[in-house]
Amino acid sequence: MAELSFPLPDLGEGLIEATILEWLVEVGEHVERNQPLVEVETTKSSLELPSPQTGVVVRTHGAPGETIEVGETLVVFEVPDDTAGIIGTVPKDEKPKRRVRLNVDLDD
Amino acid sequence: MSNAVAAPPAHAPESGAARTGRTSLSMNQAINAALHDALAADPRAVVLGEDVGVLGGVFRVTDGLQAEFGADRVFDTPLAESGILGMSVGLAMAGYHPIPEVQFDGFVYPAINQLVTQIARMNFRTRGALPMPITLRMPSFGGIQSPELHSESLEWLFAHVAGLKVVSPSSPHQAYHLLRHAASRPDPVVYMEPKSRYWQKGEVDFDEPGNLEGVDVAREGRHLTLVAWGAMVTRCLQAAEAAAEDGLDVEVLDLRWLSPIDADGLAASIAKTRRAVVVHEAPKTAGLGAEVAQLITERCFGTLKAPVERVTGFDVPFPSGSLENEYIPNIDRILYGIQRVLEYRRG
Repeated sequence: MAELSFPLPDLGEGLIEATILEWLVEVGEHVERNQPLVEVETTKSSLELPSPQTGVVVRTHGAPGETIEVGETLVVFEVPDDTAGIIGTVPKDEKPKRRVRLNVDLDD
Repeated sequence: MSNAVAAPPAHAPESGAARTGRTSLSMNQAINAALHDALAADPRAVVLGEDVGVLGGVFRVTDGLQAEFGADRVFDTPLAESGILGMSVGLAMAGYHPIPEVQFDGFVYPAINQLVTQIARMNFRTRGALPMPITLRMPSFGGIQSPELHSESLEWLFAHVAGLKVVSPSSPHQAYHLLRHAASRPDPVVYMEPKSRYWQKGEVDFDEPGNLEGVDVAREGRHLTLVAWGAMVTRCLQAAEAAAEDGLDVEVLDLRWLSPIDADGLAASIAKTRRAVVVHEAPKTAGLGAEVAQLITERCFGTLKAPVERVTGFDVPFPSGSLENEYIPNIDRILYGIQRVLEYRRG
């Protein structure tokens, strides 16, 4: 397993911070990708942030009422260790499947 | 690590101390160890590339190197492949031994100019006054379901460029020793890492590198030779196992050096089996399989039982991840290739 942090993104055009209104997940909770994580308020609007990935919430940063700057860590996830790097998946080492049978007549 | 025999930890040898014994490593760990030892052994060696320093590489291949050797020997570059290789040219001219990384094979295209017109030619151009001791590392080939341009198979391109040497390891043991070997040469070497095998574990024997030049017989056989390199070696070994179930004794030849090709080693295997199938991921037309097939024809024409078959990718750009398994030669396509050779009869 590996830890992956999710920094607060820019939620508008050049917004620099957001205030936590309410956490919608708890530490230790398994969340699915796109599941709402937290409700935040910016100078423009309040909105729910969806989870960027599936994983277990290890830490959350900021209590309701606190302000987080864009780029600061918002949530740390624990994710399975099968991502291949920044992209791709680790190929599974399983016994290869075959359908073709050889007709061996060597005629040597 | 369970079967380690009196081996030092792979990632934490005493600086400068030579590794001894045998230990089990994944291929990315073996390459990391080779880079570590190359930096420790050669004060002129430097590692450069995008994200190789602080992050330790997107596949963790350069993990920990900057912390140990410092940011003046292991350093991050801007996202500019032509700059990475252009800087390597300058470093080599100034007496350094650069080991640049291009993060993915498909992103080397902008740096082909530096590779072809400078790195490959400088030694020739200067009558040997300016050799280019550069080892270009590059995660290569497909197999990890990555987006476009992250799964190219460019050995045909590099192998055609006079002045470049090209090598691809197929196991952790080879990955360690071939990289050390490449980094110790005065010539530019393109070192193609089969990225789908980064997580493959295998025993690395630090005391016995074995022969690092030419071909490697990955599996002995009598009836037919499968010729492959990089990630396809493992797949050919699996195909050979399948063929054995049907009573065919298949030899698997790991070409390893794609330039220069060990024609003698290649011919020795085919002279024994008299049948050959070349397997690679790159498109078939003008691929390296054509060169291999022609070398076999030149050397073994009189003894061949059938024309050399090729099992390759298709003549299309490497497809998206969901179609990857259709594009990369699989066991069945290799077996079909073998069957075509077995069924050939002279008219």
